[in-house]
Amino acid sequence: MASKKKAAPKDKANRVSVFERIGKAFSDFGKRFVDGSLGTKLSHFIFGAGNIYHKQYIKGLLFFLLQAGILVLMIACPTINGTPYGWKALRNLSLSQEKGYVSEGGDFDPETGDFTVGSDCKLIILFGFVTIAMIIIYFLIWNMNIKSSVKADNDKKIGKKPATFREDLAELLDGKFHVLMLTPTCIAAAVFTILPTVFMIALAFTSYNSQDMNDLGTNLFRWNGLQNFRAVFTGEGSLGFEIKNRFLPVLGWTFIWAILATFTCYFGGIILALLINKKGLRGKKIFRTVFIFTIAVPQFISLLAVRNLLGEYGPFNQMLKNMGVITESVGFLGLRPGDSEILAKVMVIIVNMWVGIPYTMLMTSGILMNIPTDLYEAARVDGASTVKMFFKITLPYVIFITTPYLISSFVGNINSFNTIFLLTGGGPTYTGYQAGGTDLLVTWLYKVTIDQGSYNTGAVIGIFTFIITATITLVTYRRSKAYNEEDTFQ
Amino acid sequence: MKRLLAILLASVMVMSLLAGCGGNPSSGGQTEAAKTEENKTEPGQTEAANTEAAAQESTEAAKPAPSADDDGLIRVWVGEESTEFYQKACDTYLADHPDFGYQIEVKGMDTGSVAQTITNDPTAAADIYTVAHDNIGKLAATNCAKPITDEALVAQVTADNPESFQNVINSTLKDKVYLYGVPYISQALFLYYNKSLVTEEQAKTFEGLQEAAKAAGTKAITVTGDDGFNMSFALLARKVSDKSTTVKIYEGAESVSGGSKGVSNCQGDDTVAIVRWLQEYAADPNGFKWASSDGWEADLNKENKGALAVIGGAWHYNSAKAALGETNLGITLIPTFKLTESSVEGLSSVKAGDEYRGGTFADCKCFMINATSAASKYKKEQELIMYLSSKEVQNQSYLEVMNVPAYVGAADYIKSCYDEGKVSESEYMLAASQVSMAEWGIPQPFITGTLNTYYYSKNAPAVFRAMIDKTAYPTTGDKILEETESLESIRKGLYLIEYLWMHGQAPSEFPGTLPSEA
Repeated sequence: MASKKKAAPKDKANRVSVFERIGKAFSDFGKRFVDGSLGTKLSHFIFGAGNIYHKQYIKGLLFFLLQAGILVLMIACPTINGTPYGWKALRNLSLSQEKGYVSEGGDFDPETGDFTVGSDCKLIILFGFVTIAMIIIYFLIWNMNIKSSVKADNDKKIGKKPATFREDLAELLDGKFHVLMLTPTCIAAAVFTILPTVFMIALAFTSYNSQDMNDLGTNLFRWNGLQNFRAVFTGEGSLGFEIKNRFLPVLGWTFIWAILATFTCYFGGIILALLINKKGLRGKKIFRTVFIFTIAVPQFISLLAVRNLLGEYGPFNQMLKNMGVITESVGFLGLRPGDSEILAKVMVIIVNMWVGIPYTMLMTSGILMNIPTDLYEAARVDGASTVKMFFKITLPYVIFITTPYLISSFVGNINSFNTIFLLTGGGPTYTGYQAGGTDLLVTWLYKVTIDQGSYNTGAVIGIFTFIITATITLVTYRRSKAYNEEDTFQ
Repeated sequence: MKRLLAILLASVMVMSLLAGCGGNPSSGGQTEAAKTEENKTEPGQTEAANTEAAAQESTEAAKPAPSADDDGLIRVWVGEESTEFYQKACDTYLADHPDFGYQIEVKGMDTGSVAQTITNDPTAAADIYTVAHDNIGKLAATNCAKPITDEALVAQVTADNPESFQNVINSTLKDKVYLYGVPYISQALFLYYNKSLVTEEQAKTFEGLQEAAKAAGTKAITVTGDDGFNMSFALLARKVSDKSTTVKIYEGAESVSGGSKGVSNCQGDDTVAIVRWLQEYAADPNGFKWASSDGWEADLNKENKGALAVIGGAWHYNSAKAALGETNLGITLIPTFKLTESSVEGLSSVKAGDEYRGGTFADCKCFMINATSAASKYKKEQELIMYLSSKEVQNQSYLEVMNVPAYVGAADYIKSCYDEGKVSESEYMLAASQVSMAEWGIPQPFITGTLNTYYYSKNAPAVFRAMIDKTAYPTTGDKILEETESLESIRKGLYLIEYLWMHGQAPSEFPGTLPSEA
């Protein structure tokens, strides 16, 4: 509570400063225009004019080429696969069939073989967002170009010569090294992370569902607002029945799985590491190596091998049959409809331990070796038992260091596609539903999108998954000692 | 120095990221070409894909002009198993027709998933591709395929193919019916069995298989999967005496464009009796079993004591041969079975002892033309298809890669090959059984624009499996049908399947009285 009270006035101050900053930006903008040289004034309209005015020709030319390039793209609207960029992309983003922005195609001339293909709504949405990004970039460059001109103005005012292109480049390797290093990273993040994410989120608001589209005999889809989100609660739409009845069970199992998979591997790893690190144990190196072998084998191979071991005709079932324990094969992994869901769930957790424990063991071994021995000596002098020392020294130390790892492995387990998909395939299946007994949100997502073609519903499930994982991660991490008491352990 | 190193590393990382997104060079080149072409051409030269109003205003949605798209290469996708054969056939054709003007490149694709690949991005698909005929409706409706109009080719298709195929290779475009697919391989289900444990006589009936299974301590028969296609052995079973069944799926729908889904029926007394019979047969320790999660091949493996026979298609031939060994591999028609007393109880139009033969979907694989393929290639593409689907090439593909020809009268050729010793007995039986089974089957139905989506993916096959297993399944609204043994619940299940076919979703409630026949 105390911290909240303290924080309040600070927030208020921040808020004021935000408005102030916006106000200042506007007044600065006006001032910059009025006070600037002729070059600066011109650069508000023609990029690079200010630089050329200050005889920074190369820089000026670069700015101008960028402006010209973007404007040409915006006006000429070049097309790729029949889908345009530029202002038409913005207009087409409405996906309006009535206004003719998207069309079914299908005009055919039997004589020549000419065939008009319909619009590609996916590309239209993608190009629309690329165009919006282009406009944002245009204004960023615009601002950069004015700032650059103003800087040259100011340099001149204090009698300094405006920087040459060579000097600017040298500056990039020196004072502005961070800019040089971060630019490729930012571009890569924008292209490979932000754009696909925005695209996926956008799909959640469309009717992009190949089954529905097939039923309607169309290759087009449209925006449909919050309908897909509503379907989660009302059960309408082609997959509504499935989502209404299976979303909560799948979500629940995802959490149980993530918690159990994380903690079984975590504590299993710690115990294994403790055993291996125990004083007086012979052949420590051999033990460590043996367990690392499971890491050396690719995970999917281990998982498929286990699937075969536990299969209907696998060695495990045959062995039990030969021993007379069972007469019919047991569906350990729920691969047949009607197999036990509980058994399948238990089996995936056990198999996952086998795959996951060596990682924790490896990490904890290092940490254990780093615990100052004087702590134990002091404890021993005070008469602490081994168990007490474990709970008071070893465990707190390990947990403090591995909290971020725990959180990341928890989130990783929520999205643990491989283990579930390769072991059980989400089974046992239930007639009428895509989501089987051991399906996690992420494997369910795969079935809904790849098998069923419901990209819109998939996007909705994806967004929900993101909100849940992000919330849990933030909350747990912010509350953890590793975050709050950084550098303060003992 | 450190900084330079850092820059170097960073740029290498970015380059490697970009390299991963390169895509294939041909499509990249194509888009470049399309781009420059778009800038060069005048509005009059391009065709608008948009409605007329939009077309006047802009040319942005125009298809790339032919010259930009025409790379002098016709790409052909066929089934993986016959890639080499068709590449050789195309090479022969080019050698015989030096003025053809195009190179031909053949690539093998998984025919099960190829339709999905094409609809995802038709521009990346081949100029001529192969799909099972039931995908024609979907590919045509989503403008992924171009109609076939060459008179000679249309005449060849009409002359060569049985009527059952001719009904399912057309589709409508802007209210006009066109030929879309050219059949060249026929496929139907038949029986593979273990000759060392089952006699030829036993393999003729389900009861005989059961008897052999009892002796061997295994199950009698399995299927290769529980999807709609494999389930057809039970659902489409026909009375031996007159080859009749009351099952109808979208009957008459092919000729109807827009809205109507044709007539479907799957609640006849015979179907009810067959479900009951299969329930009993599956519950028997030596009866029917579903394919193992280790694969149906594991079921056939003698060591595993799984099943003695499997209902499959020609595309399972190599796997079945590997599982059983060539000497033990028997091939024949899907067996017959007799309805039991308990399976006909309470049903008026069937009686115990009535003999039925397992049915099948009798399908064909077709060549189709990609809608995004350049118009300038259109004529040559049809010429090539005419050659590849000719009787001679079909015959040759039977001899070399075991593709069963689709044309009328192929049975005679197959017989003559065997008589002349060109094929082995099992290779002969493979083709002969398929040709015979085609008489007991119907082609998978599809409706213009809707394909057989309902038949496959709206749970109808899963409901059917649940009925056979007597496990619960959801029916109307949120209700789960727990009891699946009584006559009433079987009728409900079959009504549900019929409703799923017709409407693509479960009914909101069951009607007061369930009709025995629609």
